[in-house]
Amino acid sequence: MTTSANPPAPSITVSKTSVPSTLDVSVGPQHPGSGHFRMLIRVDGDYIVSVDPDIGYVHRGCEKIAEYRNYVSNIPHLERPCIIDAIHLNWAYVLSVEELQDVQVPPRGKYIATIAAEMNRICSHLYWLAINAGVFSGHTTIFMWAFGDRDLFLELAEWLTGARLTYSFLPPGGPRRDLPFGFEDRLTELLDYFEKRLIEYDRIFLRNPLVVARAKGIGVLSREDAIKLGVAGPVLRASGVKYDVRKVEPYGAYPDLDFEIPTFEEGDSYARFLVRFEEMKQSVSIIRQALKKIPRGPIARKAPIIAPEGEATGRVESSRGEYSVMVIADNSDKPYRVKIMNGSFRNLTALPYLIRNVHVADMPIIYGSLDYWPVEADR
Amino acid sequence: MSQVALSREQGIIDQLKTRFPQLVRDTKIDRAKRVTVAFGKEHVLDLATFMRDELGFDHVKGVAGVDYPTHKKIEVLYYAASYSRDEIRDIIVILKTELPRDNPAIASVVSIWPSAHFHERETFEMLGVKFEGHPDLRKLLTLDNWEGPPPMLKDIKFPEMSQR
Repeated sequence: MTTSANPPAPSITVSKTSVPSTLDVSVGPQHPGSGHFRMLIRVDGDYIVSVDPDIGYVHRGCEKIAEYRNYVSNIPHLERPCIIDAIHLNWAYVLSVEELQDVQVPPRGKYIATIAAEMNRICSHLYWLAINAGVFSGHTTIFMWAFGDRDLFLELAEWLTGARLTYSFLPPGGPRRDLPFGFEDRLTELLDYFEKRLIEYDRIFLRNPLVVARAKGIGVLSREDAIKLGVAGPVLRASGVKYDVRKVEPYGAYPDLDFEIPTFEEGDSYARFLVRFEEMKQSVSIIRQALKKIPRGPIARKAPIIAPEGEATGRVESSRGEYSVMVIADNSDKPYRVKIMNGSFRNLTALPYLIRNVHVADMPIIYGSLDYWPVEADR
Repeated sequence: MSQVALSREQGIIDQLKTRFPQLVRDTKIDRAKRVTVAFGKEHVLDLATFMRDELGFDHVKGVAGVDYPTHKKIEVLYYAASYSRDEIRDIIVILKTELPRDNPAIASVVSIWPSAHFHERETFEMLGVKFEGHPDLRKLLTLDNWEGPPPMLKDIKFPEMSQR
């Protein structure tokens, strides 16, 4: 027997493998239903340690373009940043221009703008409910229902303004069109239907144990932090601050109308869901009152082409929070500078504070509850 | 507009003037609920602290930069407002300061108003204003390969944006 030497077995050494305890992950830039956006998150196991939002993928220089176009031509592109909320974006800019030009909109024009704006708020919140709340929490039914019902409002919006989304409905001086013949009746019918649907939404979505379990107590923003971070809109009101531009600095027909500001104290994702739900109910009531109270008369006045030297900041309560537009005029037909301050960009400040020490799976819910619209923030 | 209706706006101006007699250069009530205060840039932190702690302006709605090449200056505007004090929550105070165009720099107010974080980053990127002491002053909106000067400066022109 030969002692042919078998090669010696490789020695096995057990040593400590150095696996970093945290890992950096790039989430995006994908299109989570509203525009491209990326988050650089640092995870420790299943927990998120920190988030660095990387925005700007849909930046198109709205403020720069505005310096090249005259006051009316600016409207179509200035409402593009958030096409599902176009009336509010248009209105904030036009309020500034009207202040500079000293143009008063007739009462009927203000009522029509208010009705259009509240319809737009319902459309925008339904879009949020379908995508940012429904799809992100894996709830397919509410996605189908909310998207279907939103289309009924869009059909009426198209009848009123001529477009489904990008209305360009409010040039300086007043709305472009009066209410079409028979519009009031069809809108009232739709509101009757929609109020019943809201009860069904409530049953299938808000009181769904799965939704409650995933959203309640997740992403809590305290009242003090909400104020410090300067968040706006439903995010602010879900943290217990009763602040709504429609009440604080009423515009349009809001001084004549009676409505509540839904506010919740919890500050979690579920409270932000609830605020938008209650706001849709308030919008229904506002439209009903406006249809009842709308006066007869002219809808618009002629506005000059140029704006005299000055500076104005108009603001409205858009679906994503306070939307202010600062316009500096230099006595020409084009603005010298336009600065947009919107809810999405301001709520972005809260994102790194909310998505911290939470599970990776909670991230879509928190992000969805903010109703962040990347294009609006990037402008 | 009657005098009584503007008393709150005037009150804010009086308090700022009393506390900072040298710093406050010019004040204006644009209309009800809008106050513009022009101030020297040296003591922006003192002014912001006073606005927050004494007057109750707890957040900024935005920070804007405006370029005036003919006057060789860049103006920075802070839109300060209040959520927590009911009696002034409808007022926006526009704090305005002038910076030299060749080296625009000012102390960052992020330590006082955390809400200014992204707004200052945007103004840094768009107009080249250096906010000294900002914790994270990086580019925000433009492309990673944008190497040109700050795009919102007036001498940066984009002819293709003109009306057709």
